[in-house]
Amino acid sequence: MDLWRYEVRRAGWAALLTPPVATAALVLVALLDGGADTDRTTARNLIAALEMAMPLAAGVGAASLVGRDPAVELQLTVPTSYRSTLLRRLVVTLGWAALLAVLVVAGLAATGWWERWPGTHGVVAGQLVWLSPTLCLGGLGFLAGAAFRGPAAAGGLITTLWLLDQVLASALQEQYWQRLLYLFATTRGAVPGDWAANRFTLLVAALAFGAVAWLLLGRGERLLRGEAE
Amino acid sequence: MSAAFRYEFLMQVRKRSMWVAYGVIVLLLGLLSFRTLGDVLHDPVAKETVASIAFLVNLILPVGYGCFLADRLVRDDRLGVAAVLDATPASTAGRLAGKYLGACAAAAIPLAIVHFGFAGLYAAVAGRPVALGWAVALFAVVIVPALLFVGAFALVVPLFVPAPLFRVLFVGYWFWGNAIYPGSMPTLSQSLVSPIGGYPLQVMFGYPGGDVEIAGPVPGALLNFLRPEATTATAWLSIGVLLALAALVLSAAPALRARTTR
Repeated sequence: MDLWRYEVRRAGWAALLTPPVATAALVLVALLDGGADTDRTTARNLIAALEMAMPLAAGVGAASLVGRDPAVELQLTVPTSYRSTLLRRLVVTLGWAALLAVLVVAGLAATGWWERWPGTHGVVAGQLVWLSPTLCLGGLGFLAGAAFRGPAAAGGLITTLWLLDQVLASALQEQYWQRLLYLFATTRGAVPGDWAANRFTLLVAALAFGAVAWLLLGRGERLLRGEAE
Repeated sequence: MSAAFRYEFLMQVRKRSMWVAYGVIVLLLGLLSFRTLGDVLHDPVAKETVASIAFLVNLILPVGYGCFLADRLVRDDRLGVAAVLDATPASTAGRLAGKYLGACAAAAIPLAIVHFGFAGLYAAVAGRPVALGWAVALFAVVIVPALLFVGAFALVVPLFVPAPLFRVLFVGYWFWGNAIYPGSMPTLSQSLVSPIGGYPLQVMFGYPGGDVEIAGPVPGALLNFLRPEATTATAWLSIGVLLALAALVLSAAPALRARTTR
């Protein structure tokens, strides 16, 4: 328990601030509609803020875990394996985003906005609106951080993928495999029938990314070389 | 300044992770645009085709290099070498300029490979060598100003906003300030300060053509005072404004560094 408490404190205010700031920014954008939008569109924009902000914050957070310890040599000598420590930090990063997401869903449900967009699938199954893309981008960020041994390139990859999903949204709906891997299927997906398969695929992808990252991090000597600067 | 430039450039260019990340991004872009690639490569209008390539490069890749460059200035402090560098005879301003230009020059190499690679492929397939000339012009007036603008912010903002938070905010800003249609919400896109280069693309290269506009006033949109009519003069003004903002942001770096390292 002490270790968990320590990790939460070590994460720092920047890591804790990122998910709420990202969500607040997108909620603000969702509400800046010039008064022309219908309730249904505003509801979709609010849910889109959840579906888009959480994966981005969690993905960049997860991508920033490797390569920032000033004394990895020391970490590698202690009985707790370093990859367990990194996994604990990943859980803290994703857990904080998840806690915030549940609170946002509760807020939207309490104010009635959640029901005004028909693609949310109720409050329970609807948690997959944010959970699947958040775990997927979080897992990929963790893997990219492990592969690149530093946050710069990993963060660049995650943010670019997020942007690609935004600007090429319609092009990414053409084929079935693209729709399965599309991050924002709830609010920008073209085929509502593919939603459940899409959410499931993203979860499987998240597990696969996490497993590969776990294997990569098992080779501690890779981390000793640090990031090429 | 030249020594800082050389070392910063070499450090960035030798960063294998940057090349791998760019490789993945370009592979994905190629995969997603594979079906339309055939039509693009046989388009007879060289200027517009190469402009469309520059537009895509300038829409997607700045997010990547903005994130790559986000740790360049703060890492001197993180590694504990800032104080040693400050003790050298080299001036602070010279080192900062060298670091900034070196990092931007290194970030320009992958951009140039992608941009001139596609332009060269088009020139060869369509039999239009003039495309390479247009590619050089587009690189100079569209891609480089965006790089210098983003580079300045990416170096300086992480001095007071932690790098991960900067990356998240930067990609959000990039999408909001460049890709959102101004009629749907208040945004900086299509304005003089939009680094995607809508003014030069539209005025100098006829992109995107037809009735579609990516620069200039939008009826009913907020912030239209930042969107004068798109003319050659306003296109140059847009480039000038971007470079002036970059210089302004960079000039704040020494004071910010002094505050954070105190």
